[in-house]
Amino acid sequence: MDHSPLLHNSELAERAYRVRRNAIVMAEVQGQGYIAQALGVADVLSVAYFHAMNVRPDQPDWEDRDRFLLSVGHYGIAHYAVLTEAGYLPEAELVTYGCDDSRLPMSGMTSYTPGAEMSGGSIGLGLPMAVGMGLGLKRKKSKSFVYILMGDGEMAEGPTWEAAISAAHYQLDNIIALVDFNKVQADGPSTSIMSTEPLVQKFEAFGFFVQRVNGNDLAALVAAFDAAREHPDPKPRIIICDTKMGSGVDFLEAKEKNHFIRLEAEDWKRAYAALDARTVA
Amino acid sequence: MNTTTKQPSVDKALPVTPAIISSSVDEGHRTKSAPFGHALIEEARRRPEIVGMSADLAKYTDIHIFAQAYPDRFYQMGMSEQLMATAAGGLAKEGFIPFATTYATFAARRCYDFISQAVAEQDANVKFVGGLPGLTTGYGPSHQATDDLAIFRAMPNLTVLDPCDALDVEQMVPAVAEHKGPVYMRVLRGQVPLVLDEYNYRFELGKAALLRGGRDVLIISTGFMTMRALDAAKELQKDSVDVAVLHVPTVKPLDEVTILREASRSGRLVVVAENHTVIGGLGEAVAGCLMRGGVSCAFRQIGLPDQFLDAGTLPVLQDRYGISRKAVVDRIRCWL
Ligand SMILES: Cc1ncc(C[n+]2csc(CCOP(=O)(O)OP(=O)(O)O)c2C)c(N)n1
Ligand SMILES: [Mg+2]
Repeated sequence: MDHSPLLHNSELAERAYRVRRNAIVMAEVQGQGYIAQALGVADVLSVAYFHAMNVRPDQPDWEDRDRFLLSVGHYGIAHYAVLTEAGYLPEAELVTYGCDDSRLPMSGMTSYTPGAEMSGGSIGLGLPMAVGMGLGLKRKKSKSFVYILMGDGEMAEGPTWEAAISAAHYQLDNIIALVDFNKVQADGPSTSIMSTEPLVQKFEAFGFFVQRVNGNDLAALVAAFDAAREHPDPKPRIIICDTKMGSGVDFLEAKEKNHFIRLEAEDWKRAYAALDARTVA
Repeated sequence: MNTTTKQPSVDKALPVTPAIISSSVDEGHRTKSAPFGHALIEEARRRPEIVGMSADLAKYTDIHIFAQAYPDRFYQMGMSEQLMATAAGGLAKEGFIPFATTYATFAARRCYDFISQAVAEQDANVKFVGGLPGLTTGYGPSHQATDDLAIFRAMPNLTVLDPCDALDVEQMVPAVAEHKGPVYMRVLRGQVPLVLDEYNYRFELGKAALLRGGRDVLIISTGFMTMRALDAAKELQKDSVDVAVLHVPTVKPLDEVTILREASRSGRLVVVAENHTVIGGLGEAVAGCLMRGGVSCAFRQIGLPDQFLDAGTLPVLQDRYGISRKAVVDRIRCWL
């Protein structure tokens, strides 16, 4: 997949469907977890991996690849879902998620999983790490981008803003930051736990090229990723993606307490059915 | 943790226990729900200067119970641990007693300078409460607070506590509030085992408590390893091995008098047990105390190895790293 062919939206939709399905397979193994985030961010990750990024799944450490940093380690489930669809991991391994000696731990770590470029989980390390990699890539005269996925709750972490200042200072136009703005964090709605709005104006003031899009609209995401890659100014780029927790599975979309979801066995079966119903419709 | 990427393990039989945060309740233990949250409400009734804080982990440290009871005395700081630690210092300067909660890893590692300078150096009256102590989650090193006791023991002015069970947690809260000065307290949340009520125990700040006597082995333990030690003692009794258990909930300042008294009774193997790396925790604190006190005895440590631990399921990991009930019994047997 050297600079991946620009997939049509229908192909991307098919990919995103299978990413969601992979996530449900993993969540079902544990009976609980961060399934709503995985479903919500599936479109963003699909556009990243199947439209925007330059990667070789059979050669995860290929020097000229675009980097992808998962800062929110608990989104491992979402990352493994897309890594599997991209071919980094065999589908058969999904059922080991979170189990002993699995390559798919609950919180994403670089030494466990092919394609995982950082150990996240202690949230707030992602953007600072991207600054270092962005500087390093520039030193090497590399054309690669550093993509980094953060959560909206992560916008309250101090290191995020220290990194934002220096990303602009060093004109790191090779950073494409993604924020999964799903309006949820651990204790509840991110808007009431600690409001970080207006986020667009904040990042603009910090010197970023900022876009804010519906993170469940594939066409809008494709346009935003293209604009981020092609923007002429020497600024770091950020795409704030407004996503819907549980997207694609109606009864999970409707759930109120959804940072960490526990379901009965039969409800996981319902989740596959709901996903299929939505995708066919 | 390996530096090379792990090999696929899909062929192995799949375990049934999930990796997610669970308490370390062993079979046959009674439990009590959210002892920290309930005790804090009680104490807050008596002390209007108590305020609560969390960095987006209120629900996961049981302080949400306080937040529900006293919404106007609770500050949700969002996922900003360094801010919370430092702002807690500010609240203390204005005469309040903040109980500030996050996971033990983030309190210890991310906030170290902030707590050291904004709180401990100024002797501010802040109480940090850390969830998921030691190896109590299968999430891997980011969430496993295997080094918090070492980190906080090294901080001047700070009192460091590691409760065994629900009774310990609920008795610590008023003592911590009464104590003037900064405190770091590990906390067990959710359904917390209740064992110490069978031992006529009362928590006293700065004091170790002998929970049972025994001629052959002295286990000096802190945190939930005291529960494991008590269970191991019962198990070893069946082989006529007589095990004493000295519970040390205050890791700093250490009750050296009691430790020296118990360890200098001759002929016993001394085993220090902690849910923490063997580096810099209770084990090395006791070893230093014994050396300085001129007590020489057979000495062993039960604790986590000096490495980043694996992710996986909790019972398997506690077994693998030697802090499960069974692992404690097996190791003591082979040391005898
Ligand atoms: C430094 C740090 N503090 C706290 C946590 C615990 N934690 C895990 S996920 C989470 C919420 C993060 O919010 P967000 O980034 O919006 O993720 P979402 O709730 O959408 O999954 C928290 C507080 C953590 N992993 N790291
Ligand atoms: Mg969120």
